[in-house]
Amino acid sequence: QETITAVHAFPETLIYTQSFLSFVDKVNDAGEGVVQIEVRGGPEAIGMFQQPDAVRDGIVDMVYTPGSFYGGALPEKDALVASNLTAIETRQNGGIALIDEIHQEKMGLKYLGWFDSGVCYNLWTRDAPTFDADGNLEVEGLKLRGNAVYNAFFTNYLGAQVIDLPTGEVYAALQRGVVDATGWTQIGLIDLKWNEFLNYRIEPCFFSTDLGVIVNQDRWNELSDEAKTIIQDVAIQHEIDSVNALRAKRDADFAALEEQGMQVVELEGDAKAAYLSAAREKTWERMQELMAEHPMGTANYDRLIELFYDASAD
Amino acid sequence: MRALIRIYDSLLIFMALISAGTLVWLMISVVLSVLMRNMGIQPWAWLFTSAEYGILYMTMLGAPWLVRERGHVHIELVTAALKPALRRIVSRLVAAACVAVSLILAWYGLELFLTNIERNDYDVRAYFYPRWLLTITFPIAFSFMAIEFARFVFGSELMHSGEAGIHE
Amino acid sequence: MEWFEALALLIGSIMVLMAVGMPVALAFLAANILGAWVFMGGERGVVALLNNGWGSLSKFALVPIPLFLLMGEIFFHTGLGGRMFSAIDRLLGRLPGRLSYVTVLGGTGFSTLSGSSMGSTALLGSLMVPEMTRRGYKKHMSIGPILGTGGLAIIIPPSALAVLLATLAQIDVGALLIAGIIPGLILAAFYIGTIFLQTRLDPEAAPPYEVENQTIAEKIGLLLRDVIPMIGLMVVIVVMMINGIVTPSEAAAFGALGVLVLAIVYRCLSWAALKASIRGALRVTLMAYLIVFGSATFSQLLAFSGASRGLITWATGFELDPIYMLVVMFCVLLVLGMFMEQISMMLLTVPIFFPLALSLGFDPIWFGLIMLLALEISFTTPPFGLLLFVMKGVAPSDTTMREIYLSAIPFILCSLLVVVLLVLFPPIALWLPGLG
Ligand code: NA
Ligand code: NA
Repeated sequence: QETITAVHAFPETLIYTQSFLSFVDKVNDAGEGVVQIEVRGGPEAIGMFQQPDAVRDGIVDMVYTPGSFYGGALPEKDALVASNLTAIETRQNGGIALIDEIHQEKMGLKYLGWFDSGVCYNLWTRDAPTFDADGNLEVEGLKLRGNAVYNAFFTNYLGAQVIDLPTGEVYAALQRGVVDATGWTQIGLIDLKWNEFLNYRIEPCFFSTDLGVIVNQDRWNELSDEAKTIIQDVAIQHEIDSVNALRAKRDADFAALEEQGMQVVELEGDAKAAYLSAAREKTWERMQELMAEHPMGTANYDRLIELFYDASAD
Repeated sequence: MRALIRIYDSLLIFMALISAGTLVWLMISVVLSVLMRNMGIQPWAWLFTSAEYGILYMTMLGAPWLVRERGHVHIELVTAALKPALRRIVSRLVAAACVAVSLILAWYGLELFLTNIERNDYDVRAYFYPRWLLTITFPIAFSFMAIEFARFVFGSELMHSGEAGIHE
Repeated sequence: MEWFEALALLIGSIMVLMAVGMPVALAFLAANILGAWVFMGGERGVVALLNNGWGSLSKFALVPIPLFLLMGEIFFHTGLGGRMFSAIDRLLGRLPGRLSYVTVLGGTGFSTLSGSSMGSTALLGSLMVPEMTRRGYKKHMSIGPILGTGGLAIIIPPSALAVLLATLAQIDVGALLIAGIIPGLILAAFYIGTIFLQTRLDPEAAPPYEVENQTIAEKIGLLLRDVIPMIGLMVVIVVMMINGIVTPSEAAAFGALGVLVLAIVYRCLSWAALKASIRGALRVTLMAYLIVFGSATFSQLLAFSGASRGLITWATGFELDPIYMLVVMFCVLLVLGMFMEQISMMLLTVPIFFPLALSLGFDPIWFGLIMLLALEISFTTPPFGLLLFVMKGVAPSDTTMREIYLSAIPFILCSLLVVVLLVLFPPIALWLPGLG
């Protein structure tokens, strides 16, 4: 029986970590006597942003983390960020296989699976959002909390006044009015208690979560074929299961929020299309620029967009 | 030799001055970004980022100077109970262990720095900042620290003060 | 390797290294090299430890401490602090230990509102300890209250650690924050009682010097000239925080700037004073942050090696009455708190302790508050509480670690007493949130 060690980027109680832990349970059930995953902990065991390096260097065998935490080494993760598809379609059309190939080449990592996909981001505000004559969102005067993932969109397109804050400081910042709007995934707002201060959700949602499991390539190659098959099969199944589980969770969260008085405001028509395409294109732009600086260049750029974006799905 | 020592000393002081300047910069950068924000202007993101990186530069570049100043806090439990002759030996041994730790970290710091260059690693915040610009502080700071600790191994001064026994 | 072997290796090595007099930061680094070598696969583990180091040292959360230190040092070196304390001394008249009471009251107000234990210890320590020592107070009369009120910062709202705990444990943030108010005030009252006892038991602890009587007019003059502007500065900063003009992390910069402005207004800012202030603030910051560099990785090694998780699972594995289980959990927190930093501890213990607490029938808010008290105590428990080292850095140079430990103990006992009260009378915590 072989054992591989694992850590996860987020605290254990967070929903995304719970999803990963259920994947681990499934592997450990299916792999009894063959392969077991031993979880060493979360950010308390290895720092959140040091985990990608740790798996690359073989300190730990497997990491569950957003691709954005190692976007400097792999700008192609923005294909996932800007995607309007889930792991289910991109597993079928070869998108994930391409991402896996790029991980192997650039970082010596096996990309095992894109979990918890199909969850997108909304803008959430304290006060009722206002719109200009063309129905575009007015960001003038909005104190928007930003971070490295969405600033290309918030600053470059929306022209918003972004205040960078770590997640842990947002609650206090909302409470004191340092910020009055933030981007966040569709789910998780209640867990962070930000709904105590935020009253409006702006639709449509944009972006996608980019959480994935990466495995040290050398360690992966050492595994028996049987072990590899078990882990890979369970991962592919979990890609599908997690999409469905999180959709159910999203619906439950939205219902709970609406019951507490969360209002939904929607952009319409051209304004909506412009908003969505800006989120996507500013991110692609960033991806292309950064890819150009790497030895591999932008050869994969068009294919990535083709595989991770489907205009008809918007 | 004497010229070499003089160059080394001025480098150490120069690093400490950068460290001190960074501390003042922390205040200036925060005040500026708050003022800008409250005037409704988008604060330059580098104000925030420079403060974050500043903490690292400040700590690493100032650390060797602090060794010289004997500002790194230690507990004199065993050394206080020893007879002066034995205490001198223990004190020099402890300083030697500090030299070893510093040298190990300087060596692997160099390795990390070279890996960062080779892999073209970036730290991703508001900007893409080359990581070697951060990790280069390790080989430098820990080498200087090793030399400073070595002065307590071979020099006339001891790391553990003669008064230690009275005070602890 | 079994968890207890890993625990013994890590904690054993650091204890030995510190005991023989290796600087604390270097002892952490040495233990980390050893631990990384054993648990992270040799050389690459040491590289990982350095990789971790720059990550834990390039955080905005670390910005306030040097600036609070700078603020306190400028207060001290320009003589502004001395003016204020002379005035307060004369205003309060003959009350024995008056500056200790001032420390508790001012410290409670400031540290709770700033929410930063390290920051307020740094500020109060650099401001009060040298000044009070100069006036003939025994050191424990200044060091003890400051360490105590530094810890109060995480009990009384606003408190970043309380928000994080509530988020991790998925309990009501507001309720946990409000639950801390009454126990926090009780704790502050205990501190005052402690000082009263200390001055009674040892009249020499606080200076017996006489102060001349002041007329009302003189008193008002003193208040307006030497007290209001300095206290006013703190008030302005707090108001800026409450109104959302600055975040708590940013407030310290305005504190330092404000003191500079005051010093210019009072014409006591000299180049020498400024240089001495920066030098003083830098010394303590560098000392503390090299320890942060080392201890962050040490916490992680305890977690990664399975040592701390093993300890928790083992300790909570006994079938005991709820009250004994509470004692067990509290002790685990105290033990871990000696060697780990607070956030790592929460990440590690919350997922295990909260479900257990619920199954034992504890109220989660009440239990959360008890956890916060344990975290608060761990800031000042020997041998590793970071506040103790900050204090060592700011106190006069002849202050020994032992003096600091001994000063902390009565105030740690106060916290333990509050825990006992909470167990006996849960409404102390739950009454206020229950009103909402
Ligand atoms: Na507080
Ligand atoms: Na502690």
